[in-house]
Amino acid sequence: MKTFKLENEPKIETGFKTPDHYFENFSVKMMQQLPASEPKVISIFQKRKNLILMVAAVLVLALMIPIFNYSSASSNELDSTELENYITYQSNVNQYDLISGLETEDINNMNTSIAIEDEAIEDLLSGNSNLENLILE
Amino acid sequence: MQEEQEFINQLLSPKTQNQAFQQLILDYQRPLYNHIRNIVLNHDDTDDVLQNTFIKVFQNLKNFKGESKLFSWIYRIATNEALTFLKQKSKISGISSETLQNKTLDNLEADVFFDGNDIQIKLQKAIALLPEKQQLIFKMKYFEELKYEEISEILGTSVGGLKASYHIAVKKIEAFVSTN
Repeated sequence: MKTFKLENEPKIETGFKTPDHYFENFSVKMMQQLPASEPKVISIFQKRKNLILMVAAVLVLALMIPIFNYSSASSNELDSTELENYITYQSNVNQYDLISGLETEDINNMNTSIAIEDEAIEDLLSGNSNLENLILE
Repeated sequence: MQEEQEFINQLLSPKTQNQAFQQLILDYQRPLYNHIRNIVLNHDDTDDVLQNTFIKVFQNLKNFKGESKLFSWIYRIATNEALTFLKQKSKISGISSETLQNKTLDNLEADVFFDGNDIQIKLQKAIALLPEKQQLIFKMKYFEELKYEEISEILGTSVGGLKASYHIAVKKIEAFVSTN
């Protein structure tokens, strides 16, 4: 049997046929089937639904306000180290401002809490090389 | 390109839409019919798929971006519709798409809308043995005589790739016809 070569053969048609007048009638049939392109109608209910959703969202937010307040209040307590660090590094409150804010009673309290023993003072002074200068002054 | 843009504008404007779409149907019905018929093989199925294709085109015109030509966009919709149709049909019948194709081919000889001779039936049987993509490429090139550039735009495959696939398809078909 000889080898079949597509390009040597005359063009082979598909052999497919259509019913008589198929294409003449097709466009008419097709045009009738097209979905009518009407402007999109938004129902009143749809609008009302959006309104209800908006009201609901606002209500939920309103109900959440006490929760926000509570959570922020709980974190309001400062611990003393933080306050001390803040005063030392961040604010322009200096030593004299602090002292002027103290009452006599507070100073007395401080004195009692810094009860320094005589020996300790002696040790400190003897360790200080400028002792003589200090005495002379 | 200018004309095409004008035609698309007519298709989108409510005033001119109907007339323009009728023109589109008249321009495309025959080539699209042949394209779909080559894939699904029988007339009634082609008729269904062709109608669905035009409805899809009509519904999606407003989304047509003009990134590709109207021609290749419409062909792409038709190809997808035809392939989806075959997949659904084989799923409903519970058989593989290959079995479905062979069954349709067996019915072809009895089809009143087919008057092919032996060589035409043999050619169809040879095509049926090819992978899906090669079948598409062969049919579009050989039967529909589309240019490689056009097929490339429709299928999204490079011209080089298409030429290679077509060449392989021709070789396989020739081998089948020679030995059967």
